[in-house]
Amino acid sequence: MNMTALSKVIRYLLLGMISLTVAFPFYWMAISGFKTNDEIWQFPPTFWPEAFRWSNYMDAWNSAPFARYMLNSTFVAAAICLLQIVNSSMMAYALTHMRFRMKGILTGLILVGYMIPSTAVYLPGYLVLSELKLLDSYTGLIVTNCVSVFSIFLIRQAFLQVSHELVEAGQLDGASHFRILWTIIAPLVRSTFAVMVLITFIDQYNNYFWPMLITKDPNLQLVSAGLRSFFVEGGAYGLAWPQIMAASAFTIAPLLVIFMFTQKTIMQSVNMTAGVNKN
Amino acid sequence: MRVRLWRETEAILFTLPALIPLLVFWLGPLGYIVYLSFTDWDFMSPEKRFVGLENYTYLLTNSEFYQSLKVTLLFGLGSVIPTIVGGLALALLMNRNIKSSGLFRTLLFSPWVTPTVAVSIAWSWIFEPRVGLANLLLGWLGISPIGWLQDPNWALVAVLIVTLWKSIGWSMVFYLVALRNLPSDLLEAASIDGAGSWDKFRSITLPLISPTTFFLSIILTIQSLQAYDQINVMTQGGPAGATRTLLYMYYQSAFESFNVGEASGIAVVIILICVLLSGISFLLGRRLVHY
Repeated sequence: MNMTALSKVIRYLLLGMISLTVAFPFYWMAISGFKTNDEIWQFPPTFWPEAFRWSNYMDAWNSAPFARYMLNSTFVAAAICLLQIVNSSMMAYALTHMRFRMKGILTGLILVGYMIPSTAVYLPGYLVLSELKLLDSYTGLIVTNCVSVFSIFLIRQAFLQVSHELVEAGQLDGASHFRILWTIIAPLVRSTFAVMVLITFIDQYNNYFWPMLITKDPNLQLVSAGLRSFFVEGGAYGLAWPQIMAASAFTIAPLLVIFMFTQKTIMQSVNMTAGVNKN
Repeated sequence: MRVRLWRETEAILFTLPALIPLLVFWLGPLGYIVYLSFTDWDFMSPEKRFVGLENYTYLLTNSEFYQSLKVTLLFGLGSVIPTIVGGLALALLMNRNIKSSGLFRTLLFSPWVTPTVAVSIAWSWIFEPRVGLANLLLGWLGISPIGWLQDPNWALVAVLIVTLWKSIGWSMVFYLVALRNLPSDLLEAASIDGAGSWDKFRSITLPLISPTTFFLSIILTIQSLQAYDQINVMTQGGPAGATRTLLYMYYQSAFESFNVGEASGIAVVIILICVLLSGISFLLGRRLVHY
């Protein structure tokens, strides 16, 4: 065997081992969800359950309103995506294809926004929401997340690639800026929209800290917060681990499925994100 | 004149749907928190008493604050450096026409898309001291069991393992893109000149991918300053403050002890750290990064 073949085999082995190690916690979660309480407390642990207890999954699903949580998260995340498309596009359009005085200041403001972690302003954000009487409501959750500096950057980047002559041609035909944006430019940057929507959806679906702070009503909880309360009530202190594992598994499953189907787009986001930062 | 005025107005109208929420929920709060950091408000009392720098002098003489600062620093270094080095190493392993690299990439990237809360719960089971998988592995290596999340010496390591597990595939994908964009003729020319792989890596690859390294270190640092979910699920800042970052201390003093003034002071410190880091990275970026 020559050197290159050997190095190739070593590469495969290393990559295979590392990939399996990284994926293993998912397997462990799903498989632990099938064990009986006695089996899960066995040492050494079993890597294949003695018998598959499907009822654990049913129990977990029924012991907290998980369907409701998942619908809540889906709804909130979808609403946020929709709003972000509209306002990021309009902002990006103004910054790239319109001429006005505040342009420089706005671009600077957004740059700074990218650098300062939003978590640091959760406390005053909470107070502002309470002044607006929007605590404990989806409206509050949605409007606070309806702008993302990252999305503006991403779409601005795409709009910069669109030739300004298209805009001028549209204006000659008598189209308004609004019309030019939505009927001429938007269709050209579909793939950027797809990337932005996917990243935003996943982020918002998984969001935990902020939604947990501002929604106390259990019916309004998003899936991460719901799972966390199930974890604490259901046995952080050692009671129903198989059910907890089952619940974590079905919380994660939809995201892994989305990822399987859209991984090309998601990976592409990396390309775009890196591009965003260079300019 | 009227045309110009309309042009300005129209442009401003276009920015408003994004600008209003930004002002109300981000820029406004940013100013508000600076103001609150000079008061001793407790969420309840009707008036906010101005106390000058009291919150800051209290923080700067408080050992818990320094402990948090230390944890924040350790968490930052312990998550950013391994994520970058590990991501680059994985990308280099995968770069050379490996078949089924798509499968490897999918497996390695998948933790990034899953909710941190759910995976942290699964990891707390892995770190269970008596029957957990982590201690089983240590046992195979002949190492006696560790209390992981209950042991102040190991809790931060456990949280860091989860953080690294989540982000390593993500940084790998960034490096894969960067490596793919390397000019192959340059590398070939170097080979012809007799450069070894290490020489080529050090003097060609590394400088050419420096924008990616630079970008990742900024983003990952900001992410490490924002880390909350995994700490909340796995350790709640404990044991004995071993995993209490500044952000976690901020959360606890605001929403558990209701010390709005003190909490705001901590938040201002976090913001100052970000501004400082951004400034440094801006200067460094100009000097060191090869575009």
